[in-house]
Amino acid sequence: MLLKLIKFAAVCVAFIAGVSHAAAHGERAQEPYLRTRTVQFYDVHFSKTDVKVNERFELTGKFRLMQDWPDAVTPPDIVFLSSISPGPTIARVETYLNGEPARQSFAGLELGRDYEFRMVLEGRTPGSSHIHPSISIKGSGPLVGPGQWVNISGEAHSFAFPIKTMTGLQIEDLQTFGLAHAVGWHLAWLAVAAAWLSFWLARPLILPRWLVLQKGREDLLISLRDTGAGIIVAAIVLVMVFGGYVRASAEYPYNVPLQSGLNRVAPLPASPAYVEIKVISATYDVPGRSMRLATQITNKGSEPLSIGELTTANIRFLNQSLPVAMADVDPSYPRDLIARTGLKLSSDTPINPGETKEVRVEATDAVWELERLVSFLTDVDSKFGGLLLLYAPNGERVIAEMGGPIVPVFTELK
Amino acid sequence: MNPSGEGRVTSTADIDAAASPRENTRFKDKKDETVISVSGLTPSAARYSRLFDVLVVAAVVTIFAGAIHLHVMLTVGDWDMYVDWKDRQYWPLVMPVSMIMFPAALQAIFWVNFRLPIGATVGATVLLIATWIGRYANWWIWTGFPFTEGVPSQALAGALLMDMTLIVLRNSLFTSIIGGFAFGFVFWPSNYSALAPFYLPVEHQGMVASLADMIGYTFPRSNMPEYLRIIERGTLRTFGSSVSWVSAAFAGFICIFMHQLWWRLGLFASQATFLKNSDVVKSFMGIKSSVAS
Ligand SMILES: [Cu+2]
Repeated sequence: MLLKLIKFAAVCVAFIAGVSHAAAHGERAQEPYLRTRTVQFYDVHFSKTDVKVNERFELTGKFRLMQDWPDAVTPPDIVFLSSISPGPTIARVETYLNGEPARQSFAGLELGRDYEFRMVLEGRTPGSSHIHPSISIKGSGPLVGPGQWVNISGEAHSFAFPIKTMTGLQIEDLQTFGLAHAVGWHLAWLAVAAAWLSFWLARPLILPRWLVLQKGREDLLISLRDTGAGIIVAAIVLVMVFGGYVRASAEYPYNVPLQSGLNRVAPLPASPAYVEIKVISATYDVPGRSMRLATQITNKGSEPLSIGELTTANIRFLNQSLPVAMADVDPSYPRDLIARTGLKLSSDTPINPGETKEVRVEATDAVWELERLVSFLTDVDSKFGGLLLLYAPNGERVIAEMGGPIVPVFTELK
Repeated sequence: MNPSGEGRVTSTADIDAAASPRENTRFKDKKDETVISVSGLTPSAARYSRLFDVLVVAAVVTIFAGAIHLHVMLTVGDWDMYVDWKDRQYWPLVMPVSMIMFPAALQAIFWVNFRLPIGATVGATVLLIATWIGRYANWWIWTGFPFTEGVPSQALAGALLMDMTLIVLRNSLFTSIIGGFAFGFVFWPSNYSALAPFYLPVEHQGMVASLADMIGYTFPRSNMPEYLRIIERGTLRTFGSSVSWVSAAFAGFICIFMHQLWWRLGLFASQATFLKNSDVVKSFMGIKSSVAS
């Protein structure tokens, strides 16, 4: 019996220990239509993945708001640039959207346009933290970017966040400032309450009082002295309430209310619209874990373009035979989001200016399953979306949105 | 009869026989002795009733700490969870209107049944204790938020005033009108005293922010973002910086009705009622051997 208990305890401990290390925080649980058809992150860069407590690092990148925004998701009318971490393991120092301060929400972002973000973050809690950029949309919730493990080293207690107020007060640590003051007040109120309660709890309580009341002897239970005590306590409370308020107002005359205004931000200049992608057919081969697209790509620009990458839901399928596309992979980009087999194309020759070319694109990888993206099979609209990145010989990059209905194939393709 | 004098007791006379006269009760006050004697409890029964008091206190503290905390979390939740949600318009309105419910019910139960003017204070005290336990265990130990981000509010000032109104006026309607109003009205000033330092202004990224805003911004809640905060929307905004006093007065007004409603709910919930069993049920329960007819 004891052995069994020990075994059970060991299993529990192993389970908890295993979970605490392996678990990220549910980014894969988001529905595929949320991840493939709303916000597409690209050029995401972590300036450091190893930081010390109190050391700053930057998380930068861009995102495209997809034109084919799903009906089920509220459009990005009120948007907050945020980061996702397992609790406040990092501190947020500054955030910017297209260079504008992003400490508040933004109103009216435009579909089909790109935005650039920059977050200055600071290590706070030692350990390994999965950090994502995220775009929170009112009505839709957080739409997350690629998550990277950031190792934070040092001592938790050495973290401090100093700040200076506009009244000239230098605050040593935002984590503790004002706390003693608030707790002091709570203790003062608890002391008054304790005095009042013990005044009554010291007397015979439940049964005797109930019996006496039944006998109509209320006069024994509440005396004039009790009423007097009540008046005294009421006076003390009123003095504490209004005296405290007057004192606080005198001590902090320049206080401001909480701030929550909305800002506006212009999108990045529109990317050149000289690539048109028409999806003729799209299938997802369930046993083969492969997305196969038949596309018709028109190059309306003046440079020949080669397909370099298909990205959706932060997963990148790269054309491994195109060096410029491979060079575009930031070393800090999470490796688990780069499909190993890459992107297979029916033709590797560039699409010439003015040419319309049919290209079959194949993105095969277990990552579809691992990232739980195949549940688009159970979506009501069964559509997919993604960005196609094309490169010109002069290094110019064209980002084009593609998407449309997708048909699952449940049996092996011949 | 139980010769050992311990354990099973069949009548209070047994206890009296076992108890020595000097340790009959623990009350030194003469008035308290009178209450005991008028109650008709024998000295030993009185001693056991004191044990019962202790058990009731323990039960009230644990059950109502959990119940009131849960209730406030469910009804106002975010408004009190974070320091940067404690705005000057909705927070002083929503918080007391929800916080008054259980204290009002407890006040009725304690007053009507036992003439104890402590129900509201009991409710607000156990709520504050439970809230701090929650902040410590959930916000600090579990998720690592600094205490400043989760500093709670208290309803003790209002609860005390409500109990004082009750003992002075001894009437539930007047307690609603005066005590209930006071409960709602003093919530803002009594909490502002404690939280004033968090409203100091800071310049951050070229914008004004309060320290509370800075705390919420610096220690990110993964997507509990600021756009969700409902702050100063609607026509109350036109009152400008006096908005909190308008909110406080309005909260007091709503609390009048909340108090009366929950006073009645408290009495209703504390009734001991019995339902007559049907013969079918009795037979199922073995009280009656078989169903006639
Ligand atoms: Cu993650």
